[in-house]
Amino acid sequence: MRLPIASGVATLAVATTLYPLFDSTTWLWTVVGAILTVTVLGVLADRFNLPLWAMPLASLLGLTLYMTAVFARDEAWLWVIPNWDSVTALAELWNRGFGDIQRFAAPVPDQPGIVALTAVGVGVIAVLVDLFAVRARVAALAGLPLLALFTVPAAVIVEPIAWPSFILAAFGYLVLLVADGRERVSRWGRAVLVRRRPGPGDVTGQRHQGPLRLSGKRIGFAAVALAVLLPTVVPDLAPNPLFGFGVGSGLGRGNNTISIPNPIAGLRGQLTLPEEARVMTYSSADGNPRYLRTWSLDVFDGEAFEMTPPTGRPQDRVDEGPLPPPPGMSGAVPAKSNQLRVQMSPELGKLSFLPLPYPAAQIGIEGDWRADRSTLVVFSHVEYAAGLSYNVVSNEPRPSGRTLDEAGPAPVDIATRYLQLPDSLPESIRDLARRETRTGKTPFQKAVQLQKWFTERGGFTYQLRTEGHSASALEDFLLYSRAGYCEQFAVSMAVLARILDIPARVAIGYTGGTRIGDSTWEVTTRDTHAWPELYFEGAGWLAFEPTPTGAAGQGTGQVPEYTRFTPPSAADSGTETETDTPASTPEEEETAAGTTQRNQGPLDREGAAAPVTVEEETPVLAWIAAGTGVLLLILLIPALIRVLTRTRRLRAVGSRAVVRLWAELDDMLYDYGMSRGPSESSRAMARRLTEKFEFGQEAAGAVARVASATERLMYARDPGTVTVSAEDVETVRKALAASVTRGRRMRATLLPPSTFARFRVMSGRVLDGFDWLESVGARSLTRRLARK
Amino acid sequence: MAITHDVPPQLDDLVPTAHRVREAIESVIEGKGDVIRLTLTVMLAEGHLLIEDVPGVGKTMLAKALARSIDCPVRRVQFTPDLLPSDITGVSAYNQQTMEFEFKPGPVFASIVVGDEINRASPKTQSALLECMEEHQVTVDGVTYPLDTPFMVIATQNPIEMEGTYPLPEAQRDRFTARIAMGYPEPSAELEMLDVHGGTSPLDKLQPVATTAEITALIAAVRAVYVSQAIKRYAIDLVTATRRSPELRLGASPRSTLHLIRTARAHAAMLGRDYVIPDDLQDLAVPVLAHRLLPSVEAQGQRRLPEHVMADIVRQVPVPEAQAR
Repeated sequence: MRLPIASGVATLAVATTLYPLFDSTTWLWTVVGAILTVTVLGVLADRFNLPLWAMPLASLLGLTLYMTAVFARDEAWLWVIPNWDSVTALAELWNRGFGDIQRFAAPVPDQPGIVALTAVGVGVIAVLVDLFAVRARVAALAGLPLLALFTVPAAVIVEPIAWPSFILAAFGYLVLLVADGRERVSRWGRAVLVRRRPGPGDVTGQRHQGPLRLSGKRIGFAAVALAVLLPTVVPDLAPNPLFGFGVGSGLGRGNNTISIPNPIAGLRGQLTLPEEARVMTYSSADGNPRYLRTWSLDVFDGEAFEMTPPTGRPQDRVDEGPLPPPPGMSGAVPAKSNQLRVQMSPELGKLSFLPLPYPAAQIGIEGDWRADRSTLVVFSHVEYAAGLSYNVVSNEPRPSGRTLDEAGPAPVDIATRYLQLPDSLPESIRDLARRETRTGKTPFQKAVQLQKWFTERGGFTYQLRTEGHSASALEDFLLYSRAGYCEQFAVSMAVLARILDIPARVAIGYTGGTRIGDSTWEVTTRDTHAWPELYFEGAGWLAFEPTPTGAAGQGTGQVPEYTRFTPPSAADSGTETETDTPASTPEEEETAAGTTQRNQGPLDREGAAAPVTVEEETPVLAWIAAGTGVLLLILLIPALIRVLTRTRRLRAVGSRAVVRLWAELDDMLYDYGMSRGPSESSRAMARRLTEKFEFGQEAAGAVARVASATERLMYARDPGTVTVSAEDVETVRKALAASVTRGRRMRATLLPPSTFARFRVMSGRVLDGFDWLESVGARSLTRRLARK
Repeated sequence: MAITHDVPPQLDDLVPTAHRVREAIESVIEGKGDVIRLTLTVMLAEGHLLIEDVPGVGKTMLAKALARSIDCPVRRVQFTPDLLPSDITGVSAYNQQTMEFEFKPGPVFASIVVGDEINRASPKTQSALLECMEEHQVTVDGVTYPLDTPFMVIATQNPIEMEGTYPLPEAQRDRFTARIAMGYPEPSAELEMLDVHGGTSPLDKLQPVATTAEITALIAAVRAVYVSQAIKRYAIDLVTATRRSPELRLGASPRSTLHLIRTARAHAAMLGRDYVIPDDLQDLAVPVLAHRLLPSVEAQGQRRLPEHVMADIVRQVPVPEAQAR
C-alpha cells in the first residue's frame, strides 16, 4: 500500500474509536471526508514530488476548503472558496461547537458544531500523521498524533473502550508500519516475498534459526493479542481510598466525569460544622416532610459501604420523560403520589447529585441530568446542583404489614448485588444478627426487630465522636461501644440485614429538616443523614431508621410508618413510644443511661469475645490465600488438560488405540525431558530407552510392544491384531519416572511441557493463517501488477 | 527375467539362506559384518556395488567370497588403460568352419562381475560396462544378448592413486546402487587374519552354501516386501532434502529414490520383515545416496564430505507421524 494511503487508513481506524462519543453516525462521514481530503492531497504531493514543507500547507488549505464546502456552502463563493461571510459562519459554528461540548455529556447528539470540531481535529491529526510518516519518514512517530486522538474517547468515557475498537485502532497503526517497511525495502529493489514454511525436505539451515524467522508482523500480531488478553487476567486497580468509609475520593478526571465526594466522610463533616448552613428548602404538597436521598451505597467490603459509579444512558435523561420504574415495586402495592418543590442553596459546593425522595417518578429540571436505572440516583457529568430549583414527583409505596410479611424472594440480580458480604465478616456478628431476630418469622419481621434492637433494646447511644479500639469499626460498634451516629447505625443495620438474607443498601442524604412555614421545610448541614434501605419484593426498596431520633439523636429523623406495625411475635415493648425512648433522656445523662442499657445484652459481648481475637488478622491472609488459590488453579489448567488427554488416549480401542498410546508415550517422553528426535523411529526410540535407562524385562517388553504395534500399524501390509494395552504404557511410565529426578516428575505432572508445546503449535498455526492471508494478498497484488 | 510372482515366495524359508551366505563370507573376511550385510543387501536388491578404498583391504576377496559361496559363475576384469569395450562385452568372430559370425561372450556374461580398479580404464570402456549394468543386456553387431540372472557388478575404485586414472564422473556413479568403503580391519581381526591366512587361503576351503535358484527366489521374495505410502513419502522427503540442502551442489536423482526403496526392501527381508520401516531407509541412506551427491563450495571449504551432510539430513528429516489408517 502506498504510504499516504496507509497513513489515511491508520487515521481513519483510530478515528472510528470516537464512535461512543456520538449518538448517530453522520459525524463519521464528515470525518471520512476530511481524512480523504488529506489523503488525496498526500498522494498527489507524492506523485508530483512537492517539497517537504508544501504538503502540510496544502493539506491545511484543502481542509479549509473542505470545511467551507461542508458547513458554509451557502455563504462561500462557488461553494468552496472561502470569503468573509463563510469564515464568519465557520467561526460561529466553531464557538457553538465549544458551547455544545460544555453543555452535553457523551454520547452527544450530532450537533453541526461538534461534528465540525471533530472533523477539523481529525483532519489536523491526519495532516500530522502524513507529515511524520510520509514526509519525514518516521512512521513510528506518527503513533503520537494517533495516540492523542485515541486518548479522546479514553478520557471522556467512563467505561473502558471496547476491545474490538482497540484492535481496529492498533491494526490501523500496524498497517502504517507495514507500509513503511515495504517502502523502505522497495527502495533497495523488489520486495522478496519468501514462503515462510519450508518444504518437508528443506531442513538444513533454517530449522535452527527459529527466532530469526519471527517477522515484525508476527511481533505486531502478538503484541496486539497480548494487549487485549492480558488485562483480562490482571486484576483491576480501583482508586480506592486506603482508609475509612466512602466512595472514591473525588478523583476528578477531566470535566466530563463526575466528581463523587466521599459521602460518608462528608457526612460527619457536615454534622459537626460549627455553624449550620442551609442546604435547601422545599415544600411538600401533602404537608409531610420527606427524607431526601443523594447517594446510594451498595458495595460492602467488610469495613465500609461504597458506591458503584452510576451509569446514565442518554435515554435516561430526566428532562426527557419519567424516570425508570423503581426496581421491585409492583402494581399490587398501593402507592401514594406526592410532589416536592426543591430550592437548592446557591452556596452549595460542587454537588453532581440531586437530593430526591425515593422513589422519584418524574423530575422537572433543566440540563443534562441522568438517572441510574438500578438505584434511581440522579446525577450529571456537566451540571451542579447548587442554586437549582426543581419539582419532583415521587410515588411512594404504602405497603401493609401483611403484604410485606408475604413478600417473596428477591430476584437474582438484586440478591447477588445487595446480599454480598465478605467472608471475613466475624461469626460473632453473624450470630448477633440471628440471635436478635430469632423470634421474627418473616424477613420483614426480622427487619423490624433489627430496627427495634438498634433504637430500643440494644442500648445504643447517639454520639458524634466515635472511638475505636478494634481492627474493625463495625465489630467495635456492634459488640463493644454501641455508640455512634447515623453512619454506624445505617451501615450496621444494612450488614445485619444482609446476614439475614434481606437485600440492603445504605442511602446518604438528608432528613426532612425543620418546618419553617406552612408545608415548607429547611434542610441544613445538621440534617445530613445516612439510613438503610431494605428490599422487599413487591414494595421495592424501603427506608428504615435505626438511628435514634429526637433531641438525643438525629434531631429531625423519623421512623417510617410501615415499620410501626406490630409484628405479632415481636410485641415485647410498646411501639408507640419507640421514637421517644432515647429522646426522653437528657444528653448529660446519656452515658449513664447507655451503660445501664448496655447491660441488657452482656451475653452478646462475652459470647463474641473469643472468636473476635482469633479473626483479627484473617482478612488479609484470607485474601492472599484466595488469590494464591486462584493463581494455582489457573496454573493447573495445563496439568488438567494433560490428565484429560491421557485418560482419553488410554481409553481408546482398536487401531486408534495404538496411535493414541503412541502419542501418549511421545508426550510422556517430552514431559520427562527425553523427547524423541524428529528422525527417531519407534523402534529406535524403544532401543534408546531400553539401553539408556537399563529397563527391566517387563518395561523393555512393554516399550517394545508399543513400538512394534505402532510400526506394524503404520508400515505393514496387514497390521494384525493389536497386542498393546494401556498397561504397557503405564509400565513404561513407571520405569521412566523411576529414572528421573523428583523435580522433573513434579514438573511433568503439574506443568506438563507437552501441553505447552501443543499451545505453541496451535498459536503457530494461527500465525500461519495470518501469513497465508498475507501471501494471498501479495499474490493478487503481484498478478495485478503483472497485468499492468 | 524369468521371475514370476504367481507364488508368493516364502520369506521365512529364504532368509536362512541369506544368512548362510553371510556367515560363509564372514568366515573369510573377519570383522566386516556391516560391509558383508550391505553387499548382500545390494545383491538381493538387484543392484551394483562400488567399493572405494585403498589397496589391500580385501575388496577383491569380498567379491570372490560372495561368488564362491553362492555357486554361480564369477568373472573378474582387471581394468587397465588399454582395455577395450569389446574386452568386456565380447566379440563376434568369424567362424570359418560354420561360415558364420560367432559371438564370443565377454566377462560380463556371469552372475557376478568383479571390475577391479575401474577408474584405470578409459571412459569408453567404463561406459561399456555401465550400459550392461543398467540394461542387463549386451548388444554386439546388432544382436542383443541378455545377461544372467542374478547379475551384479562389484566395481572397486582406488581413491589414492590419481595419476593415469579416469575417476568415474558423477553421472556414472549414479548407476551404482551403493558405495561402501571397506576400511581397515580391527587389530584383533587383523591378528586373526594372520593366523587364518598364514598357511592356505581360506577362500579355497569355502563351499557354496546357496544355489543360484535360491538366490533368484530370494530376489523375488524381496520384490514382494511391502512398502507403505508413508515410507514412500519419507524416502522422497530424504531425497528432496538433498536437493534443497545449501551444502550440496548436486542432490540425489529420482533413480536414487528407486534404488533406496529397493535396497530398503532387501534390508527388511534380510531381517525377516515383510514390510519396510523408516529404520531401513535410515541405515541405507548414506551408502545408497552419499556417492551421488556433490558438496557445495562452502561445504568443501569446511571439509564437509557428502557422507556427513547426508547423515545430518537423516537426523533432521522427521519420520512419518503415527496416524490411524
